[in-house]
Amino acid sequence: MPGKSYQNSIILFALCLFFLFVTGCGEQQDSKTSNVSGKTHPEQLKIGLITEHDIFSQKKRYEPLAAYLSRKIEANIELSILSRYGNVIDNFVSNGLDAAFFGSFTGALAIRKLAVQPLARPEYLDGTSTYYGMIFVRKDSGIHNAADMRGKRFAFVDKATTAGWLLPMHYFKENGIEDYQTYFSENYFTGTHEDAIYDVLNGKADIGAAKNTVFSRVAQTDSKVEEQLQILATSPEVPANALAVRKDLGESLKLKLKNALLQMDQDVEGRQVLHEFGAKRFIPTTENDYAPVFDYANKIGLDLATYDYNNE
Amino acid sequence: MKKKVFIALLILVFCFSGGGMYIARSIEEVITNLENVITLHQVEFLRKDLQNKIKVVQTDLLLKDSPHALHIDPFIAHVEEMETASHVCSNCHHNEEVSQRLNHFQQQIDSYVKKLSRVYTIRANKERLTEEKNAAFSMGEETLAEVEKIVITSSEKISKRITLARNSIAETEHLLFFLITAGPLLLILIAYFFLRHFTNSVDALLDATRKIQQGDLRYRVQEELPDEFQVLSKAFNDMASSLKDQCQRMQQTERLAVVGELAAGLAHEVKNPLAGIKVSIEVLASELTLEQEDREVFLRIINEIYRIETLLKSLLSYARPPEPETAPLDLHELLDLTIKSSSYSLINPANTAKMTKEIEIVKDFSPELPPITADRGLIQQVFLNLMLNAIDAIPAKGTITITTQKESNHTVQISITDTGKGMNPENLSKIFNPFFTTKPKGTGLGLAICKRLIELHNGSIHVSSTPGEGTTFYITLPEKQQIQGITQ
Repeated sequence: MPGKSYQNSIILFALCLFFLFVTGCGEQQDSKTSNVSGKTHPEQLKIGLITEHDIFSQKKRYEPLAAYLSRKIEANIELSILSRYGNVIDNFVSNGLDAAFFGSFTGALAIRKLAVQPLARPEYLDGTSTYYGMIFVRKDSGIHNAADMRGKRFAFVDKATTAGWLLPMHYFKENGIEDYQTYFSENYFTGTHEDAIYDVLNGKADIGAAKNTVFSRVAQTDSKVEEQLQILATSPEVPANALAVRKDLGESLKLKLKNALLQMDQDVEGRQVLHEFGAKRFIPTTENDYAPVFDYANKIGLDLATYDYNNE
Repeated sequence: MKKKVFIALLILVFCFSGGGMYIARSIEEVITNLENVITLHQVEFLRKDLQNKIKVVQTDLLLKDSPHALHIDPFIAHVEEMETASHVCSNCHHNEEVSQRLNHFQQQIDSYVKKLSRVYTIRANKERLTEEKNAAFSMGEETLAEVEKIVITSSEKISKRITLARNSIAETEHLLFFLITAGPLLLILIAYFFLRHFTNSVDALLDATRKIQQGDLRYRVQEELPDEFQVLSKAFNDMASSLKDQCQRMQQTERLAVVGELAAGLAHEVKNPLAGIKVSIEVLASELTLEQEDREVFLRIINEIYRIETLLKSLLSYARPPEPETAPLDLHELLDLTIKSSSYSLINPANTAKMTKEIEIVKDFSPELPPITADRGLIQQVFLNLMLNAIDAIPAKGTITITTQKESNHTVQISITDTGKGMNPENLSKIFNPFFTTKPKGTGLGLAICKRLIELHNGSIHVSSTPGEGTTFYITLPEKQQIQGITQ
């Protein structure tokens, strides 16, 4: 019947229109923004954190900053703590992270592997915005050079850290230690800079490597750190942990996030949060700031694009 | 009585306010106790909650690296819940000893948390991993044991506190029941006591009133009544005595009035024949040639007839006083005239140059004394009578003081004071009675007439006297006379 065929055509046409409408709407939306019944919901932003300190202290340290940024950019920021430095690279994709406070080495790795875009990093209260790695031993350990380290226990932080891995690797190379696995009686990864420091201090390990900023922060609360530990080697300065966002994050949100960070020191509430965080302000950060890390990795002979950052 | 009523009212107020306050305080105490019990239960719950949360974290730790291990986020959430629970616990206490213990416990929790973090972040050989895991687990067990210890300790304390709170609530309940029962009973007893106290006294007074009403003027309230009722019974007895005296006085007055009327009638009837007798005797005495002795007899007869006439006049003045013919009157002038007239009585008949008594008359006249309206003759009669009495009262030497003054209520007062022999109270009470006299040849009508004349002027007269010191008569007269509604 021609009439029935005409009706079916109309229904089919209407369904096509509806489908196109629904698809079109989906494309227009930001991936994390919902618009139901005309009401706009705040955007969701998931930020990953690496473990400079223990998991819980690190999360607590970043919570006021996350709350401040949530209010400023009008987005719900969720912090996702990662138990390992390398996780941040894996989880950036698997856990759907939008941004992360990368360490210098994880930042360099993420730039190479995930093409993340660095936005800003803190300038600490002493005016520095960089840090360096340190190899340290107990003063009473009798270890003064690489030769003294033979057969000892070495506490790394993580294979994805500059201070806790790249520095020791560079040190080993410079001092002719070809296979650290056999050179030391034991080596392991503490996962946090704080634990590496305490393990050496408490005699759980003989040699440790960690970043100077955490070393100073721990030393402020525990005088034994300065009194009983001796620094044997340091790395070049590398950029402090910076916030980098995924490459496809909305430009407006990216801009808002960057501006919020860079302008924090201009309002009272922001200054208060910065003070609690232990920083003076946030400064702009680009890929170029990671040049010392790339150079350092090159000296060791690491190809960051193919580097396996998983700890043994 | 007033005091007792006031005290009773105070007791009632105290009972009500005190009872009310006590009940309010008891309710508040019960509420506080209940709140304490609830808080203690909450504390118990919080500690058990903390215990459970530590157990959950310990379970997470045991399950780590097993096929049932949780993702790190739920584990972090569990640890954070445990930390929050431990902070809630710390925030509840203020006792220093407990606070110290909880601070130590909090440090233990912090240590435990660091060890937990380490277990999740460290990558090392199996032995080190096991060692770290065991260290964290042991710390967890120690923490759990500490919480259990605190739970047990605090459970015991909480049980004791709950028992105390319940006992306190029970005590309050008993006291409230007692108050609710005893309070009204106490009030009824107080009310009964006061009503009985009051009605007994009122009944006694009512009985006495009925007796008096029935004519028994000798009846007196004999019972010792309490408080103001005793004063009332005394006043009642005084009133009964006064009533009795008044009755007796009225009876006497009535009797005197009758006698006076009778005497006046008799005097009127006797006066004319007596006048005839007197004239006849005088004629006889002048016309007859009589011996000296006989003439003296006649003269004595005539003198006695004069005396009878004077008595008759007095009787008539008392019984039928003349209607006052009022006119403006200067009392000072009248008193001067009276003083002058009365001074004649002091002249010695044998030697007119000498006085029979040495009497000084003092005038204390008020310059503000207004003229009054009165019958000049009648008032002068009164003044003269009083002056003569005063002269008689002074044996040989003395002072008569005449004082005038304006009173506040449109009256004037004249007082005549002598420094004579005075009178005893018995005589003083009878002094205005007709036919009462202390003089050998007095008629006893002078002062009675004075009183009658002053009363005819709407005034009053009274006397005060001290034996051996003297007597004062006080006369009070209105400035204006009110006769048949016309003010003169």
